[in-house]
Amino acid sequence: MTVSDRGIIKSIGNKIWGLFGSLKFTLFILFFLAIVSVIGTVIQQNQPSEFYVREYGSKWASFIVHVGLEDMYHAWWFSTFLLLLVLNIIICTIDRFPPKWKATLESKVGVDNRFIKNLLNNHTVVVQEDLAVLREKVLTILRKKRYKIKEANGSEGVSIYAWKGMVGRFGSDVVHISLLLIISGAIIGSIIGFKDFGAFYEGEVTTIPVKNFKLTIDRSWYGIPLPKVEKQKEATDIQLRLDKFWIDYYESGQIKQYNSILTLSDNGKEVIKGRQIWVNEPLSYKGITFYQSSYGLAYDRIQQAEFLLRDNKTQKIITPPFEVDWNTMRDIQGTDYKVKVVGFVSDFAFDPATKTVFTKSAEHNNPAVYVEIYKADKLVLNRWLFYKYADFNFAAIPDSQYDIVFNSYKSIVYTGLSINKDPGTGVVWVGSALMVVGFFMAFFIFHKRIWVNLKNSGNGTEVHIGGMINKNKFIFERELVEVVESIKPSASRGVNK
Amino acid sequence: MKVIMSLLFFDMAFWFYLATMLLYLGYWIVKKEWLGQVATIMAIISTFAISMMLISRTMEAGHAPFSNLYESMTFFVWIMSIAYLIMEFKYKIRVVGAFVMAIAFIAMFATSRLPYRFQNIEPLNPALQSIWFELHVFSAFIGYAGFGLAFGMGIMYLIKSRFEERKTSHFLIDRFPTSAILDELSYKSVAWGFIFFTLGALILGAVWANKAWGTYWSWDPKETWSLITWFIYAAYLHARVTRGWRGKKAAYVAIFGFLSTVFLYWGVSFVLPGLHAYATQ
Repeated sequence: MTVSDRGIIKSIGNKIWGLFGSLKFTLFILFFLAIVSVIGTVIQQNQPSEFYVREYGSKWASFIVHVGLEDMYHAWWFSTFLLLLVLNIIICTIDRFPPKWKATLESKVGVDNRFIKNLLNNHTVVVQEDLAVLREKVLTILRKKRYKIKEANGSEGVSIYAWKGMVGRFGSDVVHISLLLIISGAIIGSIIGFKDFGAFYEGEVTTIPVKNFKLTIDRSWYGIPLPKVEKQKEATDIQLRLDKFWIDYYESGQIKQYNSILTLSDNGKEVIKGRQIWVNEPLSYKGITFYQSSYGLAYDRIQQAEFLLRDNKTQKIITPPFEVDWNTMRDIQGTDYKVKVVGFVSDFAFDPATKTVFTKSAEHNNPAVYVEIYKADKLVLNRWLFYKYADFNFAAIPDSQYDIVFNSYKSIVYTGLSINKDPGTGVVWVGSALMVVGFFMAFFIFHKRIWVNLKNSGNGTEVHIGGMINKNKFIFERELVEVVESIKPSASRGVNK
Repeated sequence: MKVIMSLLFFDMAFWFYLATMLLYLGYWIVKKEWLGQVATIMAIISTFAISMMLISRTMEAGHAPFSNLYESMTFFVWIMSIAYLIMEFKYKIRVVGAFVMAIAFIAMFATSRLPYRFQNIEPLNPALQSIWFELHVFSAFIGYAGFGLAFGMGIMYLIKSRFEERKTSHFLIDRFPTSAILDELSYKSVAWGFIFFTLGALILGAVWANKAWGTYWSWDPKETWSLITWFIYAAYLHARVTRGWRGKKAAYVAIFGFLSTVFLYWGVSFVLPGLHAYATQ
């Protein structure tokens, strides 16, 4: 590499640094993010690809999926712009913070009168009073206004420097740091947090899975090892039992609240017993939080099925309807047959390839039960019976005059719980609190600096007062005038002062 | 449920706001001091009427009056009136009232045109039964009000600065405060608005969402639009200290920001799907 090469690289580097550290770049990114974010609110996110084909036609759908607009807030290019915003904040802070820190802490005591006259807010008065008396007056009012004060004695008189609200200068830095904290909290959450959903049935015990992340380095890029985060679902020692689920209603019939009572055990020991949760009132244990999220009718099981027996010749009903509990053998009264319900799907479908039955949806569109009929403990019949179709809701029991008819069923209600672990949340809250503090510092604490030069002149004292404020110039002028008024002789100050 | 009192107070407030707007407009045009004082008194009466509307509504419903657009719009008008009155007493600039009260009346008018079902009190669905939800809305609306004030003064700034630049004069425009003051006041409104908007719409909204659904951020359209609005006002704050962006361009950004706020508030509820769809139910 030659010297000029280095020079070019350095100057390009400086240009890039300068660009990233400029406020115009900040504006560009903020506008870009604002405009681009609109797209994801117009195009529905995270829908199946058929949805986009239906809505926009296949040509646009392939474009949408290709560019990642179907999940744009997680697309690489959107993340890149967020990263650019982060870089912008960091570089701006590196560039601006040290000089600002220095300039703010610097206290210039003993400035000359020309400096004061060049200040935006400045006053010069001559008062017929002794310098020492005036000095005391100035110090008193400045102290009353809670200014910090430094003094210097020059050859010509006394110089006073007063300041307050220094922290206001750093409000914007606090906000920027808080923003970085919030973003890192979100990144922590996306890497090591997990979110799961489960349907739970009363009385049932479920082991809570947790996604653990593993850092592996198995690839490299030009010799640089690249870490890879893998999430693995592992069982924990935590078990959850749903004791009860119910819904509260208003008098008008609208839903008031969903409630679940949960019992948690850790390593076989009950740690939380019968805690009630509802929407807006989750339960947390060891960083895992359980939220009441939804409820529904089970799609793969029922509580009870109701059957009746029919004469297959006369089509006459022989028995009154009788109930059979899920997965429980029951005698059919008046016969030597037994019946058992071993399967249920809420929306029957059959996959010919694997020859398996499955449910198309969680809706009860085409409910079917799988029944087994036994005679003397020997299986004589097994069959799917369909609730909605009179032609298919029965089966003839072999070597008998009976039809078993699937009459109705009682579903099981499950509670839908979101199970969530997000160690980044705390960081986000700390960042959020810091942001509000930073705003108050930036918007409402003003860095005010006042310089006063007192000098003997003739039979009085010449006073030069000037001030500087980083914001809010109108208010400051009023404050400065008050200082000037206070040192004028009482006669000229008016009656109400 | 009985909603007679709140509807009565709303109707009263509607006409009061119309009167207030006309009085401020009158003051702006004829510049009679007594007319300005009457306008201010009328603004106080209107604010009182709308306060009574909100109080009676809260008593009738048994919950804070933010559960649908009808209630929250009224609340918006209330907050903006109070913010404006504070500003008027502090800075003694009454001409701004013509613009602010016009926005308030437009809001009242829009509210009165909402479908009838909005006037009914609906019991709160499970997700809305949270103190975080109430704080979220309360704070966010202070933000909206601040942005509303900045919008009004942003428009005034653009008009005024155009006249100042051309050194032309018009009796209506001459009564505006100087562009420097308008810029400063508009900045102050955004500053207050931005704090409460950030706290309310984003932070408390996130806290509530996290309590209710277990996610503090899910990119649903309402959340995304509040972030878009936040980006725009963040841009405004940076524009004010950027060479070449101060003044007019910054004022345009503030105006743009309020349009985004209006869309965030109305557009998202009616046009886009998402978690906040309950607002239109």
